[in-house]
Amino acid sequence: MSDETKIDLELDLKGLLCPLPMVKVSQNIGNVPVGGVIRAVATDPGAMADIPAWAKSTGNEVLQAAKEGSEFVFLVKRVK
Amino acid sequence: MDSTQLTTLTGVIDKKMNRQLKQYMDICARCAICKDACHQYVGTGDFKYLPARRAELIRQIYKKYFTKTGEFVPALYEARDPDENLLDELYDSTYACTGCRRCMYYCPFSIDTAWILSVAKAILIAAGKGNEMLGQLADAAIFKGDNAEMFNDVMVSGFEDIQEEVRAITGNPNSRVPVNKEGADILYVALAGAHSIRPAAVIFEEAGENWTISMFEAANYGFFYGDVEKARLITKRYIDEAKRLGVKEIVVPECGHAYRVAEFFYEAWSKEPMPFKISHILEKVDQYIKAGRITVDKGLIEGKVTYHDPCQLGRNGGKFEEPRDIVKAVTDNFVDLTPNRAEQWCCGGGGGIVAMEEFKDVRLASGIKKVEQLKASGASVLACPCENCRLQIEELNEIHELGLQVWQVIDLVVAAMPLKGTKPTHA
Ligand code: SF4
Ligand code: SF4
Repeated sequence: MSDETKIDLELDLKGLLCPLPMVKVSQNIGNVPVGGVIRAVATDPGAMADIPAWAKSTGNEVLQAAKEGSEFVFLVKRVK
Repeated sequence: MDSTQLTTLTGVIDKKMNRQLKQYMDICARCAICKDACHQYVGTGDFKYLPARRAELIRQIYKKYFTKTGEFVPALYEARDPDENLLDELYDSTYACTGCRRCMYYCPFSIDTAWILSVAKAILIAAGKGNEMLGQLADAAIFKGDNAEMFNDVMVSGFEDIQEEVRAITGNPNSRVPVNKEGADILYVALAGAHSIRPAAVIFEEAGENWTISMFEAANYGFFYGDVEKARLITKRYIDEAKRLGVKEIVVPECGHAYRVAEFFYEAWSKEPMPFKISHILEKVDQYIKAGRITVDKGLIEGKVTYHDPCQLGRNGGKFEEPRDIVKAVTDNFVDLTPNRAEQWCCGGGGGIVAMEEFKDVRLASGIKKVEQLKASGASVLACPCENCRLQIEELNEIHELGLQVWQVIDLVVAAMPLKGTKPTHA
């Protein structure tokens, strides 16, 4: 999916400990247009639950939450 | 502000103001002793961060609506309506407060400004002006609790990865990170990140502890946000889990407020007795070392080591000696910060402020006392059992080029344990 989706903002969240990856995604979601997508790469496994939970509770959408080696790669779509 | 909103806000004050808080409204002598105790006022010189001034904003509304004199001659008694200006002022002085309660420690009347500001938070939330980031963090945590099934696989897979790392550190292929273990003695409620699980697991396993890991994190942004119901629901996630698994004890991680929430607040919020013994991870580690259940070698940590008391664990949680005893067990080269224990300076990173970008300037400026203390100690290693403190001190470390290594206490312990496997770097 990551090959096809247009990315509006890349966030390097490597090395940040939870909940900071979620905080950074939240702080940056306003920097993409509605319908826009953030690609975020984190290394803290806690982000695998945190970022989807944040998206669900704020009404945004996680298009992808994938483990790639030691990294966790998220595609987060701004819904509203 | 229309009359309906006004009724809502005064209703919030009325509900929150118990006898103790009403007394605080009356007894402040305006001596301003608290100004020299608050790291934010000292670091910025900004009047709005003076503790008594923060509380004064609540006092002004209180006087207007709950005292006869304030109602009839408001100007004379500085009584004010909670208009937009007042609410904006209140937002800054309230959400910036780290809740360290150093001002209370020095106040001749022990006025608890942080508690008064919990009323301010309730007012701001009722006015739709609660801090958005803290609210989102709280809601995400509640969502995880309500939809635990959704996250089960991802959590279990994360724990399996950590288990592999633990085995690499202990050199023991049988080391475990037990998940959902019924009949375990201890439920360890870590933080969301692996860093708070890995070293704790090494220690529990080496101590032969009968433990299991929680599916939930101990951090509680509902508490920082100022919404008691959200805070209760976030805590309830692991209380219910502990009941289901039948454990005897809940152990919270190196997180200041998590300990205070579990040990001191949950009973009042839930109106039921806490059914479990609550311990901080460092109490357990201290016991393991003293009982000889784990071995630490004093020669393995290099450099002079100091210790920062997180406000919620130290001044507000009463845990001063266990962490120090641990640090002294792993090094002969310990130096305390001055002042320390109940008088310890707040680092500036508590109360959820590290997650609130709008307070970054005051946060960093307010770290100046901590920077001075750290420089004066001459230490090259800092042990600090609170995530928010460590984030703040790491940033201060970089900006002020302190050259410090900032460690979790349990990482320091693992580094000092003679283990067969490969030691991780502390970060
Ligand atoms: S130290 Fe206490 S009494 Fe004095 S101004 Fe501050 S809050 Fe009021
Ligand atoms: S609790 Fe701490 S940050 Fe808040 S006003 Fe008092 S000294 Fe300042």
